[in-house]
Order: sequence, then structure tokens, then C-alpha cells
Amino acid sequence: MAERIGVYVCKCGPNIGDKVDVDAIVDDVKGIEGVATAKSHNLLCSADGLEFLKSEIEGEKLTRVVVAACTPKMYEQKLMRACEEAGLNPFLMQMTNIREQCAWVTPDKALATRKARSLVMAAINRAPLLEPIERKEIEVQADVLVVGGGVAGLEACLSLAQKGRKVYLVEKSPCIGGLAARFEEVYPTMECAPCMIAPELQEVLQKENIEVFTHSEVEETLGSFGNFSVKIRRKARYVSEEACIGCGACFEPCPVEVSNEYDEGLSKRKAIYVPFAGALPNVPVIDKDNCKRFKGEECRACEQACPFGAISFDDKDEVIERKVGAIILATGATLLDPKALPQYGYGKLDNVVTALQLERLNASNGPTGGKVLLKNGKEPKSIAFVFCVGRKEKEYCSGICCMYSIKLAHIMREKLPDAKLYCFYSDICVPKKEHQQWYDRVVDQGVEFIRSNGTVAVTADKGKLAVKHGTDSSGKTVSVDMVVLAPAVEPSSDIEKLAGILDTSRDDHGFFCEEHALMKPFATALEGVFAVGSCQGPKDIGDAVAQAGAAAGRVLSRLVPGEKLALEPMVAVVDEDLCSGCKTCILLCPYSAITRDKEKGTSVVDEALCRGCGTCVAACPSGAITAKQFTREQILAEIKGVAK
Amino acid sequence: MKEPTIVGFLCNWCSYEGADRAGDARLEYPANIRTVRVMCSGRVEPEFVLHAFREGASGVLILGCHPGDCHYKMGNYKARRRISLLKKTLEQLGIEPERVRLDWVAAGEGERFAKVANEMADTIKGLGPLELS
Amino acid sequence: MAKPKVAFYWCASCGGCEEAVVDLAEDLLKVVDAVDIVLWPVALDFKRKDVEAMKDGAIAVSFINGAVRTEEQEEMVKLLRKKSGLVVAFGSCAHIGGIPGLANFWDRETIFERVYKDVPSVRNPEGIYPQQKTKVDGVELTLPEFYDTVYTLDQVINVDYYLPGCAPPPDLIMNAVTAILEGKLPDKGSVLAPDKSLCDTCPRKDSKPEKLSIKAIRRPHEVIADPEKCFLEEGIICLGPATRSGCGERCINANMPCRGCFGPTKGVRDQGAKMVSAIASILGVEDEDKVTEEEVESLVKQIDDPAGLFYMYSLPASMLRRKRMG
Repeated sequence: MAERIGVYVCKCGPNIGDKVDVDAIVDDVKGIEGVATAKSHNLLCSADGLEFLKSEIEGEKLTRVVVAACTPKMYEQKLMRACEEAGLNPFLMQMTNIREQCAWVTPDKALATRKARSLVMAAINRAPLLEPIERKEIEVQADVLVVGGGVAGLEACLSLAQKGRKVYLVEKSPCIGGLAARFEEVYPTMECAPCMIAPELQEVLQKENIEVFTHSEVEETLGSFGNFSVKIRRKARYVSEEACIGCGACFEPCPVEVSNEYDEGLSKRKAIYVPFAGALPNVPVIDKDNCKRFKGEECRACEQACPFGAISFDDKDEVIERKVGAIILATGATLLDPKALPQYGYGKLDNVVTALQLERLNASNGPTGGKVLLKNGKEPKSIAFVFCVGRKEKEYCSGICCMYSIKLAHIMREKLPDAKLYCFYSDICVPKKEHQQWYDRVVDQGVEFIRSNGTVAVTADKGKLAVKHGTDSSGKTVSVDMVVLAPAVEPSSDIEKLAGILDTSRDDHGFFCEEHALMKPFATALEGVFAVGSCQGPKDIGDAVAQAGAAAGRVLSRLVPGEKLALEPMVAVVDEDLCSGCKTCILLCPYSAITRDKEKGTSVVDEALCRGCGTCVAACPSGAITAKQFTREQILAEIKGVAK
Repeated sequence: MKEPTIVGFLCNWCSYEGADRAGDARLEYPANIRTVRVMCSGRVEPEFVLHAFREGASGVLILGCHPGDCHYKMGNYKARRRISLLKKTLEQLGIEPERVRLDWVAAGEGERFAKVANEMADTIKGLGPLELS
Repeated sequence: MAKPKVAFYWCASCGGCEEAVVDLAEDLLKVVDAVDIVLWPVALDFKRKDVEAMKDGAIAVSFINGAVRTEEQEEMVKLLRKKSGLVVAFGSCAHIGGIPGLANFWDRETIFERVYKDVPSVRNPEGIYPQQKTKVDGVELTLPEFYDTVYTLDQVINVDYYLPGCAPPPDLIMNAVTAILEGKLPDKGSVLAPDKSLCDTCPRKDSKPEKLSIKAIRRPHEVIADPEKCFLEEGIICLGPATRSGCGERCINANMPCRGCFGPTKGVRDQGAKMVSAIASILGVEDEDKVTEEEVESLVKQIDDPAGLFYMYSLPASMLRRKRMG
């Protein structure tokens, strides 16, 4: 059946009407094959105009509509709805912009009219080639996987669980709470961090619809937004979470002692241990790499000590499969190992510590019970804080080190009132509303700030540490008992593996890459996969929590139980009968929406992931991929119209 | 005399908006610049450029988001490679590479759009009509 | 009942398509049995006047190979069109212009200058070139006009079917002949070969990595290609992804990359432009957000003669058809 095209040219009052001879264009196009009717209207976007359009579609039994008016960015959606209300598939309307891109930029009426005519002709050429597009919806899973049990992960879990979503929290370490759980006080409120975070931890552990997998890792993810299938490896703990009551009777008899990574190597732990006092869940774990029994020795010390029979050396890794609709990555960050920067003497000189080590020394659940002590057991009489360790090498400012160093300086001032405190900085970064006050306060408290611009070098100096700063000629030296380094924040070590599993990209610094730095800083380019907290970039607790909340909100608004998910209608489609499986397209998709169907040997576009950019379409050497609403034939027809 | 036409492919997110901003500000540019909206500069096939020439255009503009700003992350980078190779191919076929211009116009850059459009019109005026046999 | 009349004709071609017919071997006897050959200049002594004497439409099918580049060829194909029920463009040159189509990078003048004057083996100081009309001893001798441009067959006459290939392989020829004899032909205008591109049937298909990014371009003579690996993976440009399949992978099996003789796949108008797009898309794409304009240029510069490579067989059928002479 031949198409019946209705052409409507809007005068937009005088905006187009005075600049373009609208009636001449209407007369010109009337005779064109397929054009059933052509009319002008004074203001198509008005209520009258929309009613007029609807009655025309119905009255003239139109199969295609061409609207020449303002930019489609203004009223295309409105006009499409009018078409839909009149029973015409909205994708059968072709708009062309004769206002912003014609009438308003072409003062000569004859030229503007000629240009408008060619734009209308192009739209008429294109119209018969338009195809109806049905808006697709898919069934979705509203449950969510959260990876990482730090503050960001906890916030995401609780926000989602609050609204009844089932949440699976996967944490690689034996306890949840992340770095924050190991701090004594946090800025800017100077609250006790364990007190602040404990209720959240309890709630996460107790909430019925949150399933917590500690000592676990994500092993595989398949599928896409709305329908992911994930495999979680729950590593053998060798201590039953059900039977153990956390009495700690098993620690004492264990004959093994190793460095405790949860105290930044400042204390020893046993091969059966909880990371630190108060770690949750309060269930020990056996460190298989160090346990004598797993090294072939006949040791049952812990098993014999356990009054509840909670220890089982036969425990095996379990792979658990769960279906989720979205994935929130909150795997956090760690600090750059300052050993890579020998000028600071870290790892070689005693009493050169990282800020995290000082956090542990300062923590009441830490190795010294909260006493800040030198290696020789004495209190330091002077401490130098060195900011920006590794900033130059990393080429980014971590943004949080100034403030946590200021916090630590403040705590040291209170703890060691007579100690001399120095801060060696390059630039002070205290951007938030409370931070400047803290800076001013520690300055008032007699902490000396010295601008060293990254020139600090630490050497041994008769039982003390010499902190040299400044260039060689003008270099000065300060002698201190302890040096506290503030190294650059970098993504945690497992991020690379996780990025590989999810096929999501990382930025130049190794953090997860956000979809848009400003508008979608919490989402990755993979639809339904979010990256929040410090795994997306260095962040303090408040920012990490805010970002987690934003991602949780996005999940809650898009994945609703019982509601289907509307997919992008203008997606790419592979014609199986034409695709030869040359694989040119697969690498090109920025959203990993193209995969290879191994059985058919062709490429397949996942409509839930495709956003319709058409990059693959342009690349396909055999013309087997089509972009809906931007097909090759449609665009060629439009070009023919405008090129003349 | 009829001026030779220039077909401009504008990406939906940046350059098309940029052209609209030029309109809002009533910035003038020659009427022989005719635009075609595509979702991304990465959608522009070299075939489109050739088709425009075959159908009578004397110049082709391809405008996308600035590098790093592509709405679809990498589309403009793909356009960059394709147009670069296409221009080299066209040169061998006797078509001045200047007849094809790939450039970047952001959503707020009405002035830049008008500037690029005017420059392109001047370039094509200087080269004359393409007139394929 | 009389056997259907069949004509074979050649225009600007190398003769390989004639060989392809002979390559039918025993099957040729079946064909000869089933049809009545009324014109085949390479093998049988029929003349133009014999064709002119026939009624319009008397020939059931004409298989015409070669591109059209002279006045005589144009006249002959127009004559055959008039006398034939069906015309099949036989082989790459008739289908898409083929190797003779590369002449479209020049025009008559530059070709004559090269061939009749500048070639080292020619001595022609006076610059004497072929003339359409010459008087010798008072007698006017004529030569057909040599065109500036090489045309595909369908740019000169209507073509019903296309048998692609340089030369078309025997199985496709037999399929086409059988379909014609049995009247089981597809839609007019069809290419009588599979719709998918060569990668579909390429023996090296599985060796091609899922995510292919070419770092350095290498030309076939610069490297001994691994006989198992996808050419593109080795940086050797292969036109297989943009070329219709059905050839029997003859070049690939001889360890040479595809050069596109089967023309574009269904739905593609310009084979070379498609290849430009595809190759540019996968050329050194790692970390492309850090690649500068200059680096893009130098990546692209690695491809010597892109027009000659991507349009090796299809220049006359392309959107531009030929080089624009300044």
C-alpha cells in the first residue's frame, strides 16, 4: 500500500511565518508522490495545534507525518504523543527543524525558503522509510548485589533493604565495615567511628532481606541490567557462622603468630582470628595459608578449645548463585605503598608510618590500646606529617589526605600536649564547609605548617628522624621522633579482577570509570552496574555515603518489583541472515552490548544494554546491523533531499 | 546563482544543540549549509559522505561532541579515524580533503557552530562546486 | 521443442571468465546439451550480424563478462540486451567494474600517454595516439571510441542477474544455469551468490579474536602470513568482511587476503567505503582517548593507497565511480 504522508509546516507565529514563505512550500510539496495532504499551521505545539494534528491523522488516514517546525529538542516528544493518541505509531513521524536551523539563521527570505523547502523535501524522502517501533519492556529482577562492605556498601544495602529489596552483600574480608571501622575518630564531627558505624553493621547483619557473604568474592557475572546472574565464591571459613558465638576461646591455644594486616602489620594475630576487637560478624576465620593443620601438621588446638563444636577443617569453598537486577560496586580504596618512594624511608626507617598505621596506633581496639608509641615504647615528642606522598607520581590529588592529616594532628595535639607537630604540605586542600575551620583550629593549636612542595626527604638522625625539605641550597631540616605519611589513595588490589569479570572500564588511575563525571558520577558505562565510594575515586566517608545513596535511589526508581523495565527503543539490531560473524563490531560497543552467539556464529545486540549510538552500524562492513530510526536507507534518503 | 550545498551531520547531543543555540542567538551562516541529525558522529558512515557528494553536495561537515565528551563515550573517536581514512581515500580520487571537515561543537557553542559553518562555506566557495561526472 | 538460445560475450576483461566456463569440465557438456549457443566469440565463429538478424528476445539468456569501456562494447551489449530475455552480468568486471575499473583513476588522455608514450618499452617520440578515424591511402579506417570511464554492465544496460567473482566459480555458474533452465530464479536484480560476507565461510574464522584491534598494517609482500590466522589479526588488510561470500575461499586457501572480487554484500552500496569504515574502526583502538590527532593521522598513513586497495574491484560501481580529474 502506498503511504499517505501528511506534511505540516508550522509558522510558529511570526518566528517562521515571517522568515520563510511557508505557503509556497506547502503548495510545492502537495503534488509529490505519497503526500496525501500538506498544510500550514500557526502554532502546532499549542493545544489547538495538537488537536489539529490528531484530527488530520485520523481524518486523512495518514500513515506518515512530516512536521516542519522548531527544533525536535523542544516538542518532538509532545508531537509523538499526539500521533500515538491518534493511533499512529509515534516513530512514523519525521520532524525537521526550520526554525533554529533555518528561519533564525537566514535573514534572506528567499534563501530561507529555499533551505526550508530542501529540509522538508528531505523529511518527505525519509518518511516512507520510517518503521514503526514498539517500545519494549522486559521483566526484571529487583534484587541487588552490593560488592564491598565499607561505609558506601552499607549505605547502599540499607537504602535498598529499607524499600524491601533483597540485597546480597559480598565482602572479601572476614568482617564488614571497611576502613572506617578501624578508625578511632572521624572528621569533621570527631565522632567515635566504631560507635557511628556499629548500628549500621548490626542492622545490615540482622536485616532479613540482606544476605551477607563475608570472606567471599564475586566470581562471575552474566546477563545485563535487570537480569544479572552472579556467582559468589564463599571461601571456607572453617568456623561455622551458625554455631560460633564469638567467645574467642579458640585464639589462645593457636600456636601460630603472624603479622596482623588489619593492624597494618603493627600487631600479631593467630592463624585463627578476628581482624580486630569488635569486628563484625564476630566469627573467627582460619587463615589457611598459615594454619599448621593445612600445612600438614597434626594440630587441633582450636578445635579442641571450642566449646561449641564450631570448627570444621573439612569446610569447603561454596559457589553460590544469585539473580539480581543491578550491581553496586563499593570495593573501596587503599593507600599507595610508600616503599615505592624511597625518599621517605618508609619500610627502612623505624617510626616512619603511614596515616593508616597511626590510625591503628590511635585506635582503642588497636595494637597499643590507643597509645601512640614509638618502636622503643616511648611517646613521641615530635611528629612530622608529610602530605601529598605520591601525588606527583599518581598525577592526582586524593583530596582527603589534608583533612585526615589535620584530624590526626589535632588528635595528637590532644593526646600529646607537649609534642611538637609539623605538617609538610604542597597545597592545602580543605574544600568543604567545616574543613577550613579545622585547619585554622590546628594552626591555633600550635601545629606548624611548612610548605615543602613535595621536596621532603627523611633520613635517620641519631635515633631520631631528619626531615629535610626545600631545594638543596635553601634546604632546612627538622628533627622529629615520628614521621606520618599521607600516601595517595588508590583503588584496592582486587579492582582489576572485578573489572575483568564485569567488563567495566577503569580510568587512567585504575579507579572504576564513571559514566559521566558530573551527571552520573555513581554509574559505570554498563547499565545497571554502579560504582560508588572510593572505588570510583578517592572520597571521604560523607561523599562515599552520598554516592551510595544516589546509586541506591537510581536502582529503586528503575527496578521496581512487578514493574517491567522500558528499554531504549532506538537500538541497533543485527540481521542474522546478513551477519557473517566478522566480529568487527564487538570491540566497538562502549556498553559491551554486543556479544557473539557461538552457535549461530553471529553478533547479537543486547537491547537492555544498547543505547543506540550507531557506532557499530557505521562499522559493520556487510551492512548487517541496523540502527532503528536511523537506518542507512533513511539517512541516505534524507541526504538526497538536503544535498540537492 | 545557486550556491553549492554543504551537508552537515550533527550529533544529537552536542552539535545539534550547538546549531540550535546558534539559531537562538540569531547568528547568521549561509543557507547552503543543510543539516542532518544523527545520534552520534560515530553513526556517520563514510558512505553517507560519498552519497552526499553523489547527490550534489560540494562539502560535508561532520560535527560531534568534543573529544572526551561523547555522549556515548567513544563515538567521536571512531568518527575521527573513519573520516581521516576517508579523506585520504578521497584525495586519491581527486576530491580535495578540505571538502570534508570533522569538527567538534558542544551543546552550548552556538557561536562556534556558526563560525565552523561560515568557515566551511568559505572553504567550499573557494574550492567551487564539486560536479562529479 | 527447440533448445533455449544462449549467448556468451566479453567486453573489457582478461579472458578468465571464458576459462571459468571451460572450467565447468564435464558439466559443460550438459550445458551444451541443454542449450543452443548462438554467440561465443572466444570459441565459436558467430558474428555480430548473426545476432542482428535475430528477433528481439530470441536469445533466452546472455552471459556478458567484462566491463564496458569502448563504444563497440556499448553497442554490442545494447544489441544483446535487445535480443535477450535475460542478461546476466558474468564476473567481477561486468558486475562491479573489476580490475579494468582501476582505469577510472585516470582518463583516456592519461592512459594513452602512459601506454603509447611513457612506458619504457615504447618508443613514440612523435606522440602518435590511436585515432577513431584515420585515412590510409584514401580509405577511412575507424576504431571504436575509447571512453574516459570504465562502466559496469548495469550502468549501460539493464541487468537481470549478477554472477560475481574473478572469475565466477564453477559451482555458482552451474547453480545459475540450472536455475535459469528450470525457471527457478530469485528476484530480478539478485546476485546469484550467498548474502553474507566472506568471514562466514572463511576457514580462518575461528582464529579471529573476539575483540580485534589492529596495531600495525602490513602488506602481503612484507610478511609470510601464518596460514592458520585471520589476516586482519596479523595486520594484513583483508577485504573479506566487506565482500560477498561464495568464492570458495580460493585466495584465502592460497594464503592471500581477500581483495573483494565478489563485490559488496546485500544491502551495501559502496564496498570500499564500508571497508574504510570497518578498518578505521579497529585500527589501533587501545587507549584511543589518549591518541592525538597526529597519531590518528600516522595510524591511517600506514595504509598505502587506500583507494586502490578498498576499491580494487569495485571502483566503477562505487558511489564516486571514478577519480575526479582536475
